[in-house]
Amino acid sequence: MAIDPSEKRRLFERLSNVREVVFGMQDGVLTTAGVLCGLSGAVSDHTQVVLAALASTAAGALSMGVGAYLGTNAESDVLGAEIGRARREAEEHPYVLQENLLEALAKEGLSRDAAYRVVKLISTSPRSLISTAEEKIYGIGGGVMGNPLADGVVMGVAFVVGALVPLLPYFFIANGRTGLAAALGATALALGRALHDDCDECGGGRLSHRPGDLAARGNRGLAAPCIDTPRSPHSSRITIRCAKFRPLRSPWKIGICLPRWKNCWQSCGLRSASH
Amino acid sequence: MLGLNENAPAFELPSALNGRVSMMRLTDVRSEWIVLFFYPRDFSFVCPTEVTGFHRSLAEFEAEDCSVLGISVDSVESHMSWAHELGGIGYPLLSDEGGTLARAFGVLDEREHVAQRASFILRKDRAVAYAMVSPVNVGRSVNETLRVLRALRTGRLCPAEWMPGMDFGPAGLKF
Repeated sequence: MAIDPSEKRRLFERLSNVREVVFGMQDGVLTTAGVLCGLSGAVSDHTQVVLAALASTAAGALSMGVGAYLGTNAESDVLGAEIGRARREAEEHPYVLQENLLEALAKEGLSRDAAYRVVKLISTSPRSLISTAEEKIYGIGGGVMGNPLADGVVMGVAFVVGALVPLLPYFFIANGRTGLAAALGATALALGRALHDDCDECGGGRLSHRPGDLAARGNRGLAAPCIDTPRSPHSSRITIRCAKFRPLRSPWKIGICLPRWKNCWQSCGLRSASH
Repeated sequence: MLGLNENAPAFELPSALNGRVSMMRLTDVRSEWIVLFFYPRDFSFVCPTEVTGFHRSLAEFEAEDCSVLGISVDSVESHMSWAHELGGIGYPLLSDEGGTLARAFGVLDEREHVAQRASFILRKDRAVAYAMVSPVNVGRSVNETLRVLRALRTGRLCPAEWMPGMDFGPAGLKF
């Protein structure tokens, strides 16, 4: 069934919060695990450690949330100013805008005469001309303008959720060392699961992709993560795998192969894609 | 850029006129004066205002015994399509695909490989009587070209803003 374009747009806008979710959760998990490690070595009282970790979580969530709010707000201000400047230029020098849009379309593969006709058609509506030019020439549009409040709330909540991962085992296990071990285990599992999923998604494991997927990935500005090896000259599919790291065989089979995760994290471009 | 009184370089380029393609040489042009204008590209948004502007004033140029030639680095097929898009152009559009002629006139933008927005008026001996170049984003005035052509044809000293019918200096006065 065809997806409603407006629904798809909302989906893309929601997906733009993935950055805040990932960043907030990862920070919440690691910061709280660090606080638990430090405090449980220094303070013998279990309750005090839990309270301190909760305080750290609250402060962290507030800090991250406010940081995300201010960051998105500043980004929106700068982008808004640039969009305003581009619109003024468009009103003062429409020919220049049309020429630039024509060049942008021609670079995307349209023939010059076809691009000319498209721009001429779009130019019948000044609003369409400006909005198309903003996206095609300047690479900016309404979709990239984040909502500061939503970003701040999502980041703060994600931080709290992340913090609960090490905090809950520690909270329910009164024995200091056992609780700490459980908290660290939960942290490792959570991080490991998340990174391992990322890795598989981009082909860090062994996946079959159609030829061109990698090129498409490159076109989206992501780093080419994997090497591709044609399975057979007659096959339309190729097998891809992580270029630098082989999966590390962990004797505990809990997926602790950090170098591999790190490699996939970096080489798949997930950081650049989500941040 | 080619200076005043320098001879225009000879050329033989494919040209598009009235839906037909033919080779055109400078020596093929029989009129006393030639307005030769370079423009950057077909299918752009400043150039058509000039190209159609010269087309609309073509009768006035012809009345001054002047031919008009438009030149760009586009292919002759592009010129055909472009002229059709503009509703027909009554003077030849020459295809200088390699930019050789534009370079010979000193008006080729080597980085973009397009001709600058330059105009030349050539006398009967095919030397440059008038030359001007406009910024790429600023279209030229066809009326100004026509005014200069008419002023040149008087052979007299024409003051600023001179227009046909106005007084001009005595014959033989140079400055």
